[in-house]
Amino acid sequence: MSNIVEARALTKTYGSLKALDGVDLTIPTGAISGLIGPNGAGKTTALKALIGLCDVEGELNVAGMDPRTARHKLMEDVCFIADVGILPKWFKVSQLIDYVAGVHPKFDRIKTEKFLSTTDIPANKRIKELSKGMVTQLHLAVVMAIDVKLLILDEPTLGLDIIYRKEFYDRLLNDYYDGDRTIVISTHQVEEVEALLTHLIFINKGKIALSAMMTELADIYTEVVVDPEQIAQADALNPIHIRELLGKKSYTFESVPRAQLQPLGEMYTPSVADLFVAKMKDSRHE
Amino acid sequence: MNKFHLLQFRALLKREMLEHRNLFIVAPVILAGLVLLFSVWAMTRMGQDLISVGIEYMALLFNGLSPLEMAPIFMFLAIPFIGVFYLCAIIYLMNSLYQDRQELSILFWQSMPVSNLNTVLSKLVTIGIVAPLFYIATMFVLYVIAMLWLTILGWSYDIEVAGLGYMFLAAVASLIFVYLSIITTTLWLLPTIGWVILFSAFAKRTPIMWAIGVFILVGFLEEFIFGTQFLGNFVESRSTPTQYLILDFQDVVERLINYDMLFGILVGSILLAGAVYMRRFID
Amino acid sequence: MKNIILKNRYTLLVTVLTVYIVVLVIEGSITGRQAQVLNFENPFFDLNIKDLDGLRERRA
Repeated sequence: MSNIVEARALTKTYGSLKALDGVDLTIPTGAISGLIGPNGAGKTTALKALIGLCDVEGELNVAGMDPRTARHKLMEDVCFIADVGILPKWFKVSQLIDYVAGVHPKFDRIKTEKFLSTTDIPANKRIKELSKGMVTQLHLAVVMAIDVKLLILDEPTLGLDIIYRKEFYDRLLNDYYDGDRTIVISTHQVEEVEALLTHLIFINKGKIALSAMMTELADIYTEVVVDPEQIAQADALNPIHIRELLGKKSYTFESVPRAQLQPLGEMYTPSVADLFVAKMKDSRHE
Repeated sequence: MNKFHLLQFRALLKREMLEHRNLFIVAPVILAGLVLLFSVWAMTRMGQDLISVGIEYMALLFNGLSPLEMAPIFMFLAIPFIGVFYLCAIIYLMNSLYQDRQELSILFWQSMPVSNLNTVLSKLVTIGIVAPLFYIATMFVLYVIAMLWLTILGWSYDIEVAGLGYMFLAAVASLIFVYLSIITTTLWLLPTIGWVILFSAFAKRTPIMWAIGVFILVGFLEEFIFGTQFLGNFVESRSTPTQYLILDFQDVVERLINYDMLFGILVGSILLAGAVYMRRFID
Repeated sequence: MKNIILKNRYTLLVTVLTVYIVVLVIEGSITGRQAQVLNFENPFFDLNIKDLDGLRERRA
């Protein structure tokens, strides 16, 4: 499987703050990849770097191009939705569609209009008159009608109510994703995207804490509810995280063979949310 | 440059006119309304005798002149419009590569397959060619109204109105010269426009302060390092209207192809190229 | 070289303005574009940058 994104040693500093600190990133073609990290971890910076909206140092290849020098060519193959309402507020809905139809060679106007007819968004309203949920819907309606290789979503459902959020991901998965396209979603709300991801990236303090296919997680990570008498033995195996669980202790291990863990207690594959907490705590101890 | 690129550029121009409709569509219409109101008020104050004498006097004044020869005189009527246009142009240029960075809508614009070069060119074409057309069109409508009005007045006062047709043709011809003059002025002032656009792309806030402040600073540095004042001198030499006003079709080639014009376009392009590259830095 | 110029907005600005002013100075000295001194001719005050000594005397 080839990779649509290949980045090595990406670095970006704002003053003394290192937003990206030597990030190595690969995203396989056709994946639905989740870029997950706490606020201020460097998610937005990383995503902007992928589409040339932020100047970074390091090697970067997206869909065979360097976004820093070929942004406008690259954007024929990549689409982007951000958390903040970035659609120009003075545009009317119909004017926005005209504009995208005018500048984007891979835009299918009919698809957008079909999508919009299923929503309450009126064509003659200005974007500043729409609610936040409607603006996100509108942006999705436009983006889904563009035939691109890579779709980048930066906290797309931030500040939306549950109905919009659910519908957003339903549409994305059912109407858009076809297995050839790659989708990258950044979020700090793990539970929401857990079910649709095929690839997982954790980022914290400008560094990649984890990058794996979802199918590989069970091979790498094991959570064990350790029997009280086995605790000393469990401690010796370098757990990455320990938490209290109904009076018992639950240990998370990385790259420790399950055969070795079997005697310690009951084994699970940690949920993405638990793994996230474990990894974030882990990198704080470093 | 294929057909798609032309259509794409047209979409960029349409965006500029929609976004800045207040500066380029609403402003001239309001100005025309004010001019009309003022004229009505002035006419009611003047009385019948003065008006009839005025019309006859103008007919005498232009006697024997062709509309094209009369046209430069009518260019004076455009002065308020040109004044408002340049005021709007300065506001537009200052905001051209700045406002979208403030509003974050730049993330949308830059997520479309439009090159930075085309973005900057679309601003130039808007200010030099497209936006002035709307001012010219408004003036044209104003002239039509004025002519109809004067004709009706003439009839009702029983004055000879045959000369009005000539005057109207001259006024329309003057609009062509005004339009051509605006285009040559844009090219002539390309160094200034480039300077403003560069700082519009550069400044994190108040581009106008940056543009003026750095201009003074660079002027002083030039004097300090080279002991010369070519920057100030260059700008001063650009401010003479005789270099870019077009009062006759024969002027066009002369105004466009001369050393000073071409040198201005060259150095203006240095600043514009800077603005194109500057566009890479969003935050 | 290219990396330094395009590193951030400040290096780019300085580079562009340097090229601009150097071109202006070279062209100015070749064509002998008159390097006039800024003269403010108005009745309220006079300022001649090349004649600062004279100005000081008059102020004194």
